[in-house]
Amino acid sequence: MDALKAAVILFVAAILQLSVLTEYQPFRTGSVVLVALLAVALLRGSVFGAVAGFLTGLMLDTATLGTLGVTSLLLTVAGFWIGRYGETTARDRFHAPYVSVAVVTVLYVVGELLLQFMLGEPAPAALAMHGLPGALLLNLVLTLPVYAVIRRLFPPLELGDRVREVRLLG
Amino acid sequence: MPRNRTVRLAVLGSSVQRAAPSGYPSSRSSAVKRRIVVGLLVLASLVLITVSFRSSALDGLQGTGATVLRPFEIAADRVTRPFADTIGWFRGLADAKSENRKLRAQVAELQSQLILDEGAIQENVQLRKALDYHGPPSVAEFTPVNAAVLANPQNAIDQSVTISAGTSQGIVVGSVVVEPTGGSDGVGALVGTVDRAVSNVARVTLLTDAESAVTATDLTNTGVVGAIRRGSGSSDVLILDRVPKQAVVRRDDTIITAGTLGEGPLRSKFPRGIPIGTVSSQSLSDASLFQNIQVKPLVDFSSLRSVVVLVPPKQP
Repeated sequence: MDALKAAVILFVAAILQLSVLTEYQPFRTGSVVLVALLAVALLRGSVFGAVAGFLTGLMLDTATLGTLGVTSLLLTVAGFWIGRYGETTARDRFHAPYVSVAVVTVLYVVGELLLQFMLGEPAPAALAMHGLPGALLLNLVLTLPVYAVIRRLFPPLELGDRVREVRLLG
Repeated sequence: MPRNRTVRLAVLGSSVQRAAPSGYPSSRSSAVKRRIVVGLLVLASLVLITVSFRSSALDGLQGTGATVLRPFEIAADRVTRPFADTIGWFRGLADAKSENRKLRAQVAELQSQLILDEGAIQENVQLRKALDYHGPPSVAEFTPVNAAVLANPQNAIDQSVTISAGTSQGIVVGSVVVEPTGGSDGVGALVGTVDRAVSNVARVTLLTDAESAVTATDLTNTGVVGAIRRGSGSSDVLILDRVPKQAVVRRDDTIITAGTLGEGPLRSKFPRGIPIGTVSSQSLSDASLFQNIQVKPLVDFSSLRSVVVLVPPKQP
């Protein structure tokens, strides 16, 4: 059931991002898909986040006729990493989604630049960095409503489901 | 707190027997499973990048996927269009009066210009016929295909849009794309070229992409020929490069595609006379052999809704 809900949310977010939001200049830098994916990953863990990221990236690359796998790779890593953060240290901390979105927004831009550079495509770092503060701000603003909606749809897992993942020391 | 209290006690509230060093079967298997899944996904992404980047083996699959997604993108656009139009309407109200006054003056000026132009066009056609003149390709030789913009640029680096027409409509890689309302005379203004086309969807690389370059000329002085490319700063300013210092270029001059004549594969794919923009600044510097000419594009690349693809005539 969670998989179906996540698929619907990310599909709607991707369609909105592709055909509606990017018509407005500020949304070219921010990404509602990234915010939605991070919220899902934070609430459902690393494997769920990685799979969701891979499929969402594949859909975005398909729709834009871009190089398949580029967005998938970035979103897989982002989903996995934030999912891991959710499983371990984030728990129910208020700041967790904001920290996740802020860090991943920066790393996503850097990762995208790096991949473009490695593929021999134009990678204007100045342009990407110029848009970074706007992206950061917009994504953080989007985090509040998006995370609230997704948290409602994906209630946090029971404590027992999460502590399975933690290794006790001492 | 007693000194001998363990972490386990603190976490679970009761003492728990320490597992054997080889233990943690559930967490270990879960960790292994997690690593396998993410490893496979990363590997799959890398394989996809390699195959997609190096060959066209996945083009058919990607085309089918894009065609499947197309109705959803169009539906989303149609559902949200009234809201977008309302926002645009309110935004337009702010400068409607001054714009109206300006446009009225422009209409009067253009009407008198039109009479002169029509005479010149007729004369031009007659002279071309008389001389059996073979010049650069003109817009009239191309078949226009109207298409909606499905996806705008997705980020600051991406300078491409996806449109709702593809090879089924005759579009090929390299087809020239114009914006129907951008230029004057119904020609449209230059948007870019098609860099990828599948059955019902195509990707257009915008003129603002770092790899785009078009041979262009000054409408009022066709002796000026240079290359239009993206400026180093903001994406809404282009540069007319490679114009010698002796050439006369004035502010507000209209820059159009030169459509240079070439042979075989070197023949320009751009028809002559597609408006690109107007000169916003022009300067000379001792350090450069060429003029520094900035061009303000006629197209607002940030809000493209529909475009016209000029499908080239089939080569004999």
